[in-house]
This record gives sequence, structure tokens and C-alpha cells, in this order.
Amino acid sequence: MLDVAIRVDNLVKSFERRSLWAARAAVTAVDGLSFTVSRGSIFGLLGPNGAGKTTTLRILTTLVRPTSGCASILDYDVVRQPDAVRRRIVVVIQEHAAELFLSVRENLITFARFHGYAGAEIRDRADRALEQFGLAAESTRKVQDLSGGFRRRVQVAKVFMVDTPIVFLDEFSTGMDPILKRSVMELLRQEAARGRTIVLTTQVLSEAEALCDDILIIDKGRQLARGDLNTLKLLSERFYEVTMTFDRVPADLDACLAGYRPVRRDVSHNTLHVALKEDETRVLALVSALAARARVLRIEINGASLEDIFIALTQKENS
Amino acid sequence: MSTTSTTEDADDRRNNPTPSRRDLRVLSVLRGSPLAAIMAREGKIRATNLTFIFWDLFYPLGYLLVFGVGINASLGFSSGDASIGYNAFFLAGVLAMASFGIASNTSWSFFLDRDNGIFYEMLTYPMSRSEYLLGKVLFNVLVGVLQTAITVLLAWALLGVGLHPWRWPLLAAAMIVGTSGWFFFYAVFALRIRRNDAFNTVTSIFYFVFLFASSMFYPLEPLPRAFRAAAYSNPITWQVDVVRYATIGLGHGGGIALEAGAFLLFTAAAFAMAVHALHNQE
Repeated sequence: MLDVAIRVDNLVKSFERRSLWAARAAVTAVDGLSFTVSRGSIFGLLGPNGAGKTTTLRILTTLVRPTSGCASILDYDVVRQPDAVRRRIVVVIQEHAAELFLSVRENLITFARFHGYAGAEIRDRADRALEQFGLAAESTRKVQDLSGGFRRRVQVAKVFMVDTPIVFLDEFSTGMDPILKRSVMELLRQEAARGRTIVLTTQVLSEAEALCDDILIIDKGRQLARGDLNTLKLLSERFYEVTMTFDRVPADLDACLAGYRPVRRDVSHNTLHVALKEDETRVLALVSALAARARVLRIEINGASLEDIFIALTQKENS
Repeated sequence: MSTTSTTEDADDRRNNPTPSRRDLRVLSVLRGSPLAAIMAREGKIRATNLTFIFWDLFYPLGYLLVFGVGINASLGFSSGDASIGYNAFFLAGVLAMASFGIASNTSWSFFLDRDNGIFYEMLTYPMSRSEYLLGKVLFNVLVGVLQTAITVLLAWALLGVGLHPWRWPLLAAAMIVGTSGWFFFYAVFALRIRRNDAFNTVTSIFYFVFLFASSMFYPLEPLPRAFRAAAYSNPITWQVDVVRYATIGLGHGGGIALEAGAFLLFTAAAFAMAVHALHNQE
């Protein structure tokens, strides 16, 4: 069995801007991207708006042909063997996509038919998906009568109607409430544990932090960083956030902090929030010094979040 | 790592039907195929609007009864064959007009699918671009054939237009190829034009040019030479003439075969161009 589910090699995609009045100018959305995705992993493709995430996904899902380079899904080339690729993928695209004139249940059944399911199996799967996504009560309603959030549920529920080995999710949680989002994330973990490979793009970095085994951060179509969460956190250059709540704020707080280089500093309701770019021993020394000056009611020290790393990397790239 | 037999399951489902399915060979060909899936989809969507289906089925007959009978009564008609009245002559015209209309409505559904967001999602479904196009038109071809049967039978019952059952296979073929050909032709434009209003303008122009510069409403022989040349190079004339031969026997076998061949080529070319346009949806 293949260990690599997706292979991307030096992928480039340029779009021509068409204009009646000006010469055609090419915009490069993906610029020499290379990566592999392991089978059974949850892979996060992150980047700011216009980074090339959706274009990369559209190439991998056979919607767009690359300008150069190659990409394959389970060793099937996305350009030369698109039908074989499509038999192995399911895609939740960024836009809302549903059969508006059909009921919720008919949407699920119609989708599964395209993947070759029929009869009792399709009905059982629809019942299960309706239950999992809290759609059972709405099953006979036409999708056009549902809110945007419910339409998104229908769209994501289709992923669970079929067993294709690769799942692509482009901003899957848009419009979902936090409770449903959490339960969908759990379902995705279960699918990955079953061996399905899940590729997701998101701008909600806490989602990627909670879900992804492997993360690729891109900007302007190029790789900025790659690795699991711990590897990426090592890129944060000793970044710590310290939160301390005192019975009263130390009078010489400013003098105490002066020897450090706080990136951020905020005091409210006897609570100090400070972000530091220091090594661990210096951070602990600061905490000890402050604890000696006032009674500490609560203390919290955090390393860099994915969001901090993401912002740092993209700002560095843009500067 | 635990594994799943996902892909293998999907392929088995297509290639190795269960024994009970093997017994029903015809059904097994369709069941589980992308063509069946997309036909079922189109059918379900059309079934949500019964008024639309009723209109599709009966509007050619209405056209024949209102326009055909009116022209016949007020202006009279001469086809050079005393036994053929205008109602019989115009029957082929309304049938071709109906297949033209069904084709344009079906291609318009690309815009609806784009608005619903489902268009791009469907392009990631496990089917080729050719299957997508064929499946989209198949359900509407069935509507076209049913509409033809209703119109021919009621034209016989209400207007006394003769029936020629031995030519019905040719009539069915002309309607199937005709509806498909016009759908592929329109699809090329619907897939290239991104604006709904621009597409509506294009279809209005096509209606005007194709329908009136053809043998749909009148015989071509009395027309000015340039007009006649334009009409003979119009694919709808080729379809109308074949349908007219199949309904009332008007025309000569050799010329009709030539027109049928030309229309088949037109259909094949339009199909190839529509598939190409579908491949270039970026």
C-alpha cells in the first residue's frame, strides 16, 4: 500500500488577466510548490488570503490544470488521469454548493449515486449522516429554505456519504456553530483513523492546531514553513506569553520589566499580560521576580500559538 | 495505521455487480453509473416544477393549434402537394422548435448550477466531462421524445394529420439527435459566457436567426435565392427536413440522408467543442 497519498512536485499555476484595453498580464497563484501528504493524515494548508491555497486545491481536485509541474493522488496524475483521481476524492469547495431545489435527504442521496451507491446502503448512509449533522429534523425541507449554516452542513455531510480515500475541505467550518464544528472535527479525526487522508485549508488557525498532523504554510504561492505543530513552534524564536493575576499590581512593575524586551504588555484588573521574546530561564526569572513583589493568584505561561507563528512568518515574508 | 478499502470498494461497485444485479443486465449497466446518476438528478430537479414539465410536453401542440391553425385559416398554404395542409407541414417545425427550446433551457441550467455553487463541485464527481454532458441531456431527450409522441398523436386526433408508424424510429432518432445537438451547441456558449444576461441575449439572437432562416415555418422553394442559400446552410433546416420526412413523408430520400448526415456531423462537432469548453472551466 502507498504511504504517500498526495505528491506535488514543483507546481506552478499562472492565470492570464484578460482585458480589452490592456495587454494580458499573468498572475502567478502557485509558484513552485512541492510537498507530499501521508496516507491517513490530516494535512493543513494554511496561508493568508490570496496565498494560493484554493488554487492548489483546485489543481489537486482536477478543476484547474497546472501551468507546469505535476501532482498526483494515490499515484494517479491529476492532468493525465483525472477520472481515476475523481473516483478517489470527495471535495467540499469553498463556496456554498447544494442542490437548492432538492430536499436535504435528496441532496445526500443524489451525491452518493454519483459515487456508485444505491439501494438500502444509500438510505442507511443518509440516515446516519443526517443524524451526525443534526439534519434529521430538516431532512424533507428543500435546501433553498435553509439558512447558510444549514446549507454548509448539508455540503459537509456529503463527505460522510462515501468512502473515497482522500477528502478535500476548503474552509469547511464557514457558517458552522462551535458545537457542530467540534463534532465535525471529531468525525474527521475518526475518518483519518480509518485511513482516509484529509486535506483542509482554513484561516481559523485554532482548527488547524487542533486537527492537523502536518501543516504547510504558504504565501504568494510559495512554501513558508512545513511540519507538525511542534516543529512549527520551534520556528517561533523563543516566544512566550505570560499571564499573572496579583492581589495588587506590583508598584515597580515597569522597572521590573525594563530589563526584558516585551513585545506586548497590558495590565487590567490586577492582571498582567506580557509577550516576551526571551529564552526560558529569563522568562522564569521574570516570573520569580514579580512573584516576590506581590501575592500571585493565578499564573499561565504559554508558548507561541500557531497564530503567532503564522503572523510572524507571513509578516517576515511581506517585509 | 488502520486502513480502509475505500477505493477498491468504489471500483468493485462499478465493475463487479452482485449476482442479483447480473440477472438484470440492462439495469446493471445504468445502475451506479454516472449517466444514471446525472439523469436521476436532472429528473428530480425538473420534477420539482410540474408546470415546467407540463409546458415542455404540451407547448408544441399549443403552438400548432394556435399559430398553425391561424396561418392555415387566414393565409392559406401551398406546398406544391395538394394533399399536405399547413398543419401537417408545420408539425415538423413545431417539433424541431421544441427540441431547440428544450436544448436552450437545459443549457441555461449551467447558470443555475453555477449560482448554486454545485457546478464546480459536480466537476469533481467521479465522471468524465463527456459523461457529464451526455447525462445532462439524456433526461431532456426523454422529455423531447415523450413530447413528440403526444404532439404527433394529438395532431392526428385533433387536426387530422396522418400517422406513419413505420417512420417513427426515424422520427425518434431525429428528435434524440436534434435535442442533443442543439444542447451541445448551446452548452458551448453557456460554458464560455459567464453572465446570465449575456447568454440570454445570445439565445434570443439564435432563436431569431435559426428559426426564421429555415424551413420551420414555410417551404424554401418560393424564397429569394440568398435567403434560400442561408436556410439550406442552417442546421435547423436539416433537422426540420428529416423530421418532416419522418412525419408526413415530404422530401426525397437522397437529400434527406445528406441533411441527416450533415446534422450528425454538426452534433459531433458541437459535442467536441462543449467537452473542450467544460475542460477549460477555470
